[in-house]
Amino acid sequence: MNRTDVLRYVASLRNGDPMIISPGLANYAIAEAKDEPLTIYNMDMPYATPMALGMALGWPERRVIAIEGDGSLLAGPGVLSTVARYQPKNLVIFVFDNGAYLTTGSGKAPTATAFGTDIEQLGRAAGLLNTRTVHNLDAAKDVISVAFTEQGPWLIVAKVDKQDRPAERGPHSLPVYVFEAGLIFHRTALRERAAKK
Amino acid sequence: MWGMAMAEKRKGSGGSKTMREQTGSAPAPRSGSPSYRQESLESFYEGFKAAGIDFAVFLPDSMLDGVEQLILERGEIAAYQCSREDEGIAMAMGAFLVGKRSVTLMEGSGIGMSALILARGIVQKTPTMLIIGHNSTLGERYDYHGATRLVAEPVLRALSIPYHVLYDPAHIRNVVIEAQATIEGQRLPFGILVPSHVIREIGASR
Repeated sequence: MNRTDVLRYVASLRNGDPMIISPGLANYAIAEAKDEPLTIYNMDMPYATPMALGMALGWPERRVIAIEGDGSLLAGPGVLSTVARYQPKNLVIFVFDNGAYLTTGSGKAPTATAFGTDIEQLGRAAGLLNTRTVHNLDAAKDVISVAFTEQGPWLIVAKVDKQDRPAERGPHSLPVYVFEAGLIFHRTALRERAAKK
Repeated sequence: MWGMAMAEKRKGSGGSKTMREQTGSAPAPRSGSPSYRQESLESFYEGFKAAGIDFAVFLPDSMLDGVEQLILERGEIAAYQCSREDEGIAMAMGAFLVGKRSVTLMEGSGIGMSALILARGIVQKTPTMLIIGHNSTLGERYDYHGATRLVAEPVLRALSIPYHVLYDPAHIRNVVIEAQATIEGQRLPFGILVPSHVIREIGASR
């Protein structure tokens, strides 16, 4: 399964939802599919899910999406226990598991999932109930559609190949700098919340 | 016990009065729950409310447990417990981004875990208030707090994060309020360090 195909599907259903993306090539796929103001790109690992959790708890009316890689999630798996403790219904965590630190250097360094670590089972052990591991695009689309309509929290592990790395390498740039991302996000969230009152 | 012994020794030496004598508070228990300065706990809470704090994250620690339990007991500020301090800071920053005024409470060792997320918060202009148990100088009785004592302030200084070490419990409320003003005006994290005498009775079990 190709990661970019899955990310494009997520972007097509997103409808402006707040999203935080861990470091790596997923950032470019989301930005190219559709940039949204409630996006934090290239969050330092392992903070995509923790920051998304704070957003979900602080803004329960909006669905919040965390995009993780296997490497970034494994850098801070304790957050799964915090998600399970508070069970935010509006949080969806995607983990794109290619079994490698694909963005780094040669991209050949394997993660622990290449040796049997099962991220969905980590989530189950932490206390998460809505978890899935998907291996093909049709299954991924099915569970994404469910996660975007039914209450969470959701942990969806997408087993993806490494083939998108060459295609995604190159002179890509993201639509916002980290320096301005917090200001844009904050102003947009405040404006949306004020409009709802 | 060491703290108790030192307090008794000072009392018997004919020197200046201990703070416990000055405040007339009850003797500290020898075991069980620590003895907090209730007025300090209330001052933190009043400061949070006056500053508009509505989202708190904490990792339990003995120094700030009284404040954390008070927040939970009152139920007016949404409060969440994290599994690591850096995770908690990231949660608080996420809450800030969606319009909350957030605070993170932790032992000083937690700041040592959190240099990267604090740096991210500075670069991304996504702040939170940090309430930090222990400090580098005052009241650090125990060897096992050596690393905790050592790590927090140097990390804050290295990242140019403004911080204030409380000395007088009477200042707690205003420091919290003014810290939040700096956080919102400058879009920077702000640290408030809490030495033991500010939050605990002198000589109390820790």
